[in-house]
Amino acid sequence: MKSLVPAEFLRFFGTRLWLLHLAAALACGLGLVGLVAVVGPENSDPPLPPLGSPEGAGVLLQFVQMTLFVPAALGTFAITSEFRHRTIGSTFLAEPRRGRVMAAKLTVHGVIGLAYGVILAAGAGAALWIGSLLHGTTVGLAAGDLVSTLTRIAVAAAVHMLLGVTIGALVRHQIAGLVVVAGYFYLLEPMLMLLPGVNQIYGILPGGAAAALTRSSWLSEMVAQQLGGTSALLLPAWAGAAVLAGYALVAAIAAVWWPLRRDLV
Amino acid sequence: MTGLAVHDLSKTYGGTPAVRTLSFRADPGRVTGFLGPNGAGKSTTLRILLGLVRPDRGTATVNGVPYAELDQPSRTVGAVLDLAGAHPGMTGRRHLRVAAALGGHPGHRVDDVLTHTDLTEAADRTIGTYSTGMKQRLALATALLGDPEILVLDEPTNGLDPAGVRWLRELLRSRADSGRTVLVSSHQLSELEQSVDDVVIIHRGSGLWSGPIGELAEVHGSLEEAFLTLTSTCSSITATAEEAA
Repeated sequence: MKSLVPAEFLRFFGTRLWLLHLAAALACGLGLVGLVAVVGPENSDPPLPPLGSPEGAGVLLQFVQMTLFVPAALGTFAITSEFRHRTIGSTFLAEPRRGRVMAAKLTVHGVIGLAYGVILAAGAGAALWIGSLLHGTTVGLAAGDLVSTLTRIAVAAAVHMLLGVTIGALVRHQIAGLVVVAGYFYLLEPMLMLLPGVNQIYGILPGGAAAALTRSSWLSEMVAQQLGGTSALLLPAWAGAAVLAGYALVAAIAAVWWPLRRDLV
Repeated sequence: MTGLAVHDLSKTYGGTPAVRTLSFRADPGRVTGFLGPNGAGKSTTLRILLGLVRPDRGTATVNGVPYAELDQPSRTVGAVLDLAGAHPGMTGRRHLRVAAALGGHPGHRVDDVLTHTDLTEAADRTIGTYSTGMKQRLALATALLGDPEILVLDEPTNGLDPAGVRWLRELLRSRADSGRTVLVSSHQLSELEQSVDDVVIIHRGSGLWSGPIGELAEVHGSLEEAFLTLTSTCSSITATAEEAA
């Protein structure tokens, strides 16, 4: 285990994968929030609350929360690349105790996911600040609330990357893994959030728990208002964090246990 | 007990037997050729031996224990398998550095094996630009990182040019002469005949012969003759049995 973690970091920085992570984090944080902030949320259709209001700043940060499928997909991509290029064989030959290998991969991707989250959140915070300056206003969230929300986004990004790694380890096939991740986090979960009645389970799903943690309820409330139904029920932030931690734990156990029982063919 | 031992090994994939009650040994100080037609079960056997595939029945051990229980696997066994690949976007040097870190080998071993396999000049190029022969040399370099006491090589001459094949033959001979164990699978008979001490022949997952190459040659004249006779006899018996069934 001691030598596995440095080896996994060497592997990560040995290809251009780290550049892909960096570009994705900047695009989803600085790029996405920056675009809306510079144009001005009140100029969108339908108009969104202005940046200077707490709602306006919160809505923009929810845009970031909605991109959490990206770190999940990156995690899946990283682990399925090992199966695609058959480097997993070399890894299991060097360390046949597969549980240790998967534990090292989860450790490394937890750190990488957190780094991704920090860049994502810092980019989003910087974009909010730049947008506010351009519009001659101040960010509508108190500094403490802003930092707290950004920190929660960073943690949620790390957990999503771990979930992606686990899905990749279970599915193994790169395209299939990416379809599962994008299909679930990008399509299925948002649909569940929007469907009246069904949306009451959204709060206990990974996306709902992340929304609770990052206090992102605006989209659900807006849709409910337009459709005349009730918005998805989000847990308190601490409970969202607990549910998300639970998913991370289950994912870690599955990722460590499952590969032990499968042949490498 | 040192060396490699396979005892009563069986493995079935989706109802199709890949290996059937196979037993053989590969001993220290000997180059053992593992011979069989395509699809005979050679690769499956080697994967079981190296802990990548679980057998349905029987045992496969390295120095008396299953591969997964070795204290220092890549210092004990160096393996070249088609399942152990390299990322095309990584340089050869970085690939070896990752493998060295995984196995806990000192950094200087990377330069040692690059020199040994004549890859130093290409070390900083991405593996995607390598020829098949260079990729095979890289696989051999990875196997040699831990200076292992046992080498397990699955079709190691694939893609090697004649000079590379000769280099490999000399490498295998020198390792066996220094008391180490070498198990090499191939379907190219002429290569094996020149470099092996013992031969294991399998066909359709079953062992047909196991012993010194000299004894085989005494009975059948040459390795090629022995191989063709044994595998065709086995095929006829199987076909007759299938017809009867």
